[in-house]
Amino acid sequence: MTEAFLLSFKLAALTSLTLLVLGVPLAYALVFKRVPARPLVEAVFLMPLTLPPTVLGYYLLILLAPEGFLGRLGFDWAFRFEGIWLASVIFSLPFALTAYREAFQAIEPEVLDVARTLGLGIVRRWRRVILPWIWPGLLSGTLLAFAHTLGEFGVVLMVGGNLPGETRVASIYIFDLVQALEFEQAARAALVFVALSFVMVLTVRTLEVRWRSITGSSVR
Amino acid sequence: MEIDYRLERPLRLHARIQVQGLTALLGESGSGKTSLLRALAGLIPALGKPFAGLRPERRRVGYLPQGYALVPHMTALENVALSLQGPKATATARYWLERVELGHLTGRRPHELSGGERQRVALARALALEPRLLLLDEPTSALDAATRETTIELIDRIVTEVGLPTLLVTHDRYVAARSRSLAVLEHGAVRQQGPPDEVFARPATLGIARLVGFANVFTGKVVGHEEDGVWIETQGLRVFAPTGAPPPQGRTVHWGIRPEEVMIVRPDRPLGSPLARNRLAVVVRRLVKKGLAYAVRVEGALVLEVLLPRHVQDRLRLREGDRIEVALKPAYVHLFSSEGFSS
Repeated sequence: MTEAFLLSFKLAALTSLTLLVLGVPLAYALVFKRVPARPLVEAVFLMPLTLPPTVLGYYLLILLAPEGFLGRLGFDWAFRFEGIWLASVIFSLPFALTAYREAFQAIEPEVLDVARTLGLGIVRRWRRVILPWIWPGLLSGTLLAFAHTLGEFGVVLMVGGNLPGETRVASIYIFDLVQALEFEQAARAALVFVALSFVMVLTVRTLEVRWRSITGSSVR
Repeated sequence: MEIDYRLERPLRLHARIQVQGLTALLGESGSGKTSLLRALAGLIPALGKPFAGLRPERRRVGYLPQGYALVPHMTALENVALSLQGPKATATARYWLERVELGHLTGRRPHELSGGERQRVALARALALEPRLLLLDEPTSALDAATRETTIELIDRIVTEVGLPTLLVTHDRYVAARSRSLAVLEHGAVRQQGPPDEVFARPATLGIARLVGFANVFTGKVVGHEEDGVWIETQGLRVFAPTGAPPPQGRTVHWGIRPEEVMIVRPDRPLGSPLARNRLAVVVRRLVKKGLAYAVRVEGALVLEVLLPRHVQDRLRLREGDRIEVALKPAYVHLFSSEGFSS
């Protein structure tokens, strides 16, 4: 059980960090920059929300197989940890992106304009105005992505299979236990998930409420 | 400071304004006032002087947008210190907060302040920059009447003390009247600038007349000349208008008088000779309260709007249907210059 949970944590941590690095600039661009064909771009990034995990997993498996398009470019990541990491990033992107976008949308553009007239260059604007304004949104988006990745099943199973120590994450481990009728062990593992889930959602909500009391913003 | 700016977007605009102390720019909503301020702050592209081509970060122009744009997660003190660096930043920020009479609220965040207090924090923040020019966008539009009064007084006092050229844009006549110099924006250009009294009494165009509350404007024909003015005939009524540049006989002209400067002739008081000229018999058609004064519409040879102070109405006790006489004192009759109508 420990091995499966550790693998899940490693996957969730790497996925959420990757999403932080990719998602923040993307969300900033979607809110503040002119993006050509914006609805189309947004639809592509948000599609994993509605796509069945097995369908996404299927396409990734085809692409990442040794003979697949990405496999031939050196990314033959099917049935490997790297494969489920890529799949998790794509699958959790909409969750993180939505939270990050909301964080940026709370920023009044006029405040950034005034900051410029006050002599703040881009670095000081980010350090003193933007980041302190959006960090609760970034943190809650990252936590959501983390939690979502922890619970992933279909996509991971399709792309990574069920290899102990490599791709058998906690959710697949529970599935295995149930298949083997080992309900007692499955119940213990499931309980760990319930506790984790509760703590993370509670943290996200607490952050939001605390932020509202500091800024007087309308997060509800 | 002389400002000469040309904008192409979001609308075409050419503004030449002499900014001396508290200078107001009056214009209708949508006339480009905010765009001009944003261009002066360097936030939208424009051609002109001063600051041409400089990025907003390099202009040292204090800009207060309508919503004040305070940083919500910072205290009043931190907001004011936003442009400041170095060991004296906090002390300087505290000094400016005290200057706007908010020294006791340094630790409050914007949502814990009233509209007037936020406005003053934003003012202190702009002043802490030690700007070369201060730009205020409708600084009193969200304030109640009493706060509006104290805010304008405070702004005027500080910018006068600091000697800071300040351009305040507004659509509010009251605020415009409190400035040291008033410029009026109309049809994409500044059409008139001068002391507020001058602009209010002698608007250059019909549009400006409307903006500054000049409700009685008429068209007439020049029918006679005297040394200090001309006689104009409008709907059978002859009115004398003083002017230094008399238009020729027969020329169609526009003239007007402010509602507060139309006088009611009291039967019990003899009139001086100037008032003997521009008199007309009228009937009171409408009488409504306007604050503590009365807005009266009278009808005779002309339909005139008259603003009657309460103490006058208390004495005269006018009612709708009353027949009275009004006088248009020549000193208050304004003959519009013909250039005002060529545009």
